[in-house]
Amino acid sequence: MSGHSKDPVTEESKRFFTFFNLSMILVAITGLEIVIIYVQSFEGSTIIGVLFATSVVKFIGVVTWFMHLRWDKILNTVLFLMGLVIALCTFFAVIYMQDEHPVVAGFEVTQIKNDWKPANDYKSGDYILFNEKYFIASQDHTSDKNWSKDSWNPVSGIPHKITWSISTADLIEINSKKPENPFYYQYSPAKENDIEDSRIAILDEVGTTEDFRIKVRSEAFWVENN
Amino acid sequence: MFFGTLISTHLIYRKISATVGGNTLDVRDIFDIELTSFSTFVLLASSLFMALAVSAIHKGNLKSTRWMLFGTIIFGSIFLACQVYEFTHFAHGKENVNGDLEHQLTLSSYAGKTLEKGKDAELEPHVFGSTFYVLTGTHGTHVAIGVFWLIGWFVYSFTGKMSTADAMDIECCGLYWHFVDIVWIIIFPVVYLMEYAF
Repeated sequence: MSGHSKDPVTEESKRFFTFFNLSMILVAITGLEIVIIYVQSFEGSTIIGVLFATSVVKFIGVVTWFMHLRWDKILNTVLFLMGLVIALCTFFAVIYMQDEHPVVAGFEVTQIKNDWKPANDYKSGDYILFNEKYFIASQDHTSDKNWSKDSWNPVSGIPHKITWSISTADLIEINSKKPENPFYYQYSPAKENDIEDSRIAILDEVGTTEDFRIKVRSEAFWVENN
Repeated sequence: MFFGTLISTHLIYRKISATVGGNTLDVRDIFDIELTSFSTFVLLASSLFMALAVSAIHKGNLKSTRWMLFGTIIFGSIFLACQVYEFTHFAHGKENVNGDLEHQLTLSSYAGKTLEKGKDAELEPHVFGSTFYVLTGTHGTHVAIGVFWLIGWFVYSFTGKMSTADAMDIECCGLYWHFVDIVWIIIFPVVYLMEYAF
């Protein structure tokens, strides 16, 4: 531990004032930290910078003099620094592993109620309602003046459009909360940030947003929007 | 490493769980910075006593060693008492002008401001209490272990067996105590003061 090469009593007597002065300096620095917080006239980044600097100074003060590293063999300092480096690496590793919390900015389920219109351009996959029955366009076409089933296939259910916008995710899961109106969809988005997507769901009954649940997974979180 | 992980975990969850019940979580409503500042000064002062105790045993001054150890024990105990008082008040919450409880922080939940007169604020699940209590509580436990260790040396000093041969052992105790001190040197600005920076 301490290297007492000379007369230990004389050496330790000298250190009394060192310890006392250091203690006063530590108290003064802590006081400065508190004053900086109280006056509230500095920017956040400035305050954090000052707090970081003062903490480092206090830390060095304690380990150098109170923990005797100043008077110890250099090996002890090396050993201490090794521990400190491992601790700092752990700290920054955990910070680095931090995953962004996904936010479901929008989630909506709406029933498609597009009435068929004559002389209208339709694309393949468009849904229309005609005579209270749903149809899906089998090809791109412009409708005639009169209804014709030629370019339409009947849909056995009620089409709904589900749209969602999510800050970040690597897996998205949407399901119906009502067993009598089942729906389940899970996929991994092509891009993991600022996801805006939609899907058509053919349901047995009319559904609303409240009847569905979206679960979003990122690296470390499962976020559920009920 | 242990405290490094606890501190970084606290910082991460503080950032990603910054709201409670749709409102920003402002822990300045919970903290009592005057009390925590006082306990910080107390812990720093205890480190001085500890350093002087180690110095005294090296000089062979047993009487001075005893009283410096006693000073460290007293200051360490004051720090622990402050922490117990702080935890108790955080968990109990604060009374507003109407006598209703608000800003209650438990291990797994937090109650913000009361919305209705005559009704206490409702607790909502939140992770801040978990990371805060685990971090500061773990540090407090280390302080308590240090205090018990020091009490052991203080009692031993009355047996008449203590001598300069024990200097190395007391110095180890001192190193532990200073370690507890440097951990608090990090925790105090990072957990408490930084909340006032924004």
